[in-house]
Amino acid sequence: MVSNDLLAKAASYTEVSLSFVDDDGYPFSIPVKVEVDREDGLVKIAKPQTLPALDGKEISLTFNHITPLPAGGYTDRRYIVLWGKLSDTADGFHLKPSKGYVWDEKEVPFFQYSEMKVSRARRYLNELNEKPWMSTPWLIMRTFRLPFIIATLLPVLIGSAIAYRAGHFDWVLLALTLSGALLMHLGANTANDYYDTHLGADGVNTTPTPFSGGSRIILYGLLPGRFVLSLASATYLLGAFIGFYLAFSRGLPVLVIGLVGFLISWGYTAPPLKLAYRGLGELGVGLGFGPILVLGSYYVQTQSFSLEALFASIPLGLLVMLILYVNEIPDRNWDDEAGKRTLVARGKDNAIVRGYETTMMIVYGIILGGALTRIFPLSTIIALLTLPLAVREKRLISGNLSNPYGLIPAMSSNIKIFLYTAILMLAGYLISFLV
Amino acid sequence: MRSIAESDPQILETLENALICEFTVISPTGRPITHPLLPLYDSDESRLYVTSSVLFSKKLDHIKKNPKVSALFSNREGIRVSPYRTVLVKGNAKVGEEDIHHGWEKLLPLWRKKEPFIDNFVKMRYALPLFWDRSIIEINPTKLYLWPRGDTDDLPKTFEVS
Repeated sequence: MVSNDLLAKAASYTEVSLSFVDDDGYPFSIPVKVEVDREDGLVKIAKPQTLPALDGKEISLTFNHITPLPAGGYTDRRYIVLWGKLSDTADGFHLKPSKGYVWDEKEVPFFQYSEMKVSRARRYLNELNEKPWMSTPWLIMRTFRLPFIIATLLPVLIGSAIAYRAGHFDWVLLALTLSGALLMHLGANTANDYYDTHLGADGVNTTPTPFSGGSRIILYGLLPGRFVLSLASATYLLGAFIGFYLAFSRGLPVLVIGLVGFLISWGYTAPPLKLAYRGLGELGVGLGFGPILVLGSYYVQTQSFSLEALFASIPLGLLVMLILYVNEIPDRNWDDEAGKRTLVARGKDNAIVRGYETTMMIVYGIILGGALTRIFPLSTIIALLTLPLAVREKRLISGNLSNPYGLIPAMSSNIKIFLYTAILMLAGYLISFLV
Repeated sequence: MRSIAESDPQILETLENALICEFTVISPTGRPITHPLLPLYDSDESRLYVTSSVLFSKKLDHIKKNPKVSALFSNREGIRVSPYRTVLVKGNAKVGEEDIHHGWEKLLPLWRKKEPFIDNFVKMRYALPLFWDRSIIEINPTKLYLWPRGDTDDLPKTFEVS
């Protein structure tokens, strides 16, 4: 038996066709007029005069809708199929459906519908002895999630700019610091994919977006899990070589900073730490992309620590943390299901928005306070220019908390807030060198 | 015996303009399974195609076990022809999987005529790679039915085709 809800939905369609297997063994289909009787749980079908006797025959009814677009193509796709044995009555055909299937892209968007079928696709490709295809540049881009390396690049540049202001700067050391930090970041991205697939968080998620839900290269079968883990190990190893060289040439603190950075990066999703699964991922990311990168870059140049670098690292770390925080929102129900208890998976809607707002206020408060108290150059105050974007961002988030695809513009603009604020901070430092 | 092209101009016009057809396969238990699909008719070669992503490959399994299929063209919204008519194509389907990654691209010119935005989606295939691993389903018609005014109480014109 099919649900009354499904019958109610079927009643709203105007295009209906009846199909059965004809005497010649081929399916035969014909458009029909129907009336849905929800009380009796049956569909009454006006019998086309040309049809043969179908009493007791297994048939299907397809209720189908599309809206053609003026420029070609179509939208608003939805359809229902009902199956059962037909009764031929004096009142026409009657179908008491025994089984039903429905897809409505307004309820299950096409991308989600596709994600729900990934295991079927992989099974089918396995039977054909095939692997899914993706062009090599896109595969590299997707595997390493290359666009996100901007979150490493800017903190390292700002840490080095603060060192320049303190009278220490070496291009080779900057290049080495950047290379080591980027390799660690790429290691984190690939390890994160391996463990989120392995621990089931990516698998249960059927609403991934370009910014959330992982790269899915293992899940789609684009690359084997072991290979991705090897990539992570190789990038970490290369990063470690550079880290050891810098520690040897610049001092032991580099080794300590590097080790803490590695632990956060690897332990973000990897057992036994699994920081992201314990609600500590956001803190880890904030520390890693803030104090670890900025202070580390500063130390490599100056062989000392500074209060200015520490203060400057806080808004940067918080902004990268907010990238993660917002990107976790569309995943929150899936993460909860997989036991990945991120901050947003733990929080209620109001708390999530308040968390974003409060963190942003701290970010701008530190930039303003730092510039006015001259801990930072006064010119870094230009970083406050992104404030209107943050105000708009809060609205974008609160309006789409339960709409994963509706959050895509919010996730995109949140990354821009980090990018523009960090670039403006860097520009503030560069201006201070000129003035 | 004749080809689709030699059957009736109304059938050709319908196949060429349809944005949707109800494509029916038969399950191993003998149940008709219908999928709304975009039909692609190649008038040069007088061949009817639909395609299927590996994501929605159950129909491909069914066809491999029983190639007898039908395609109904009756959707008033999705088939902009005047006057309205109904067409049913019965035939044998063949699943083409020689190159599941790119083989279907030969049908892009036909696809583009019906969905002009398709090229933008194909350019973004990295976003949903499994959707673009696709099999071609070629329907070799055996019998065509035409209800010229769409009135299925009338007897259809039928055409045996090869």
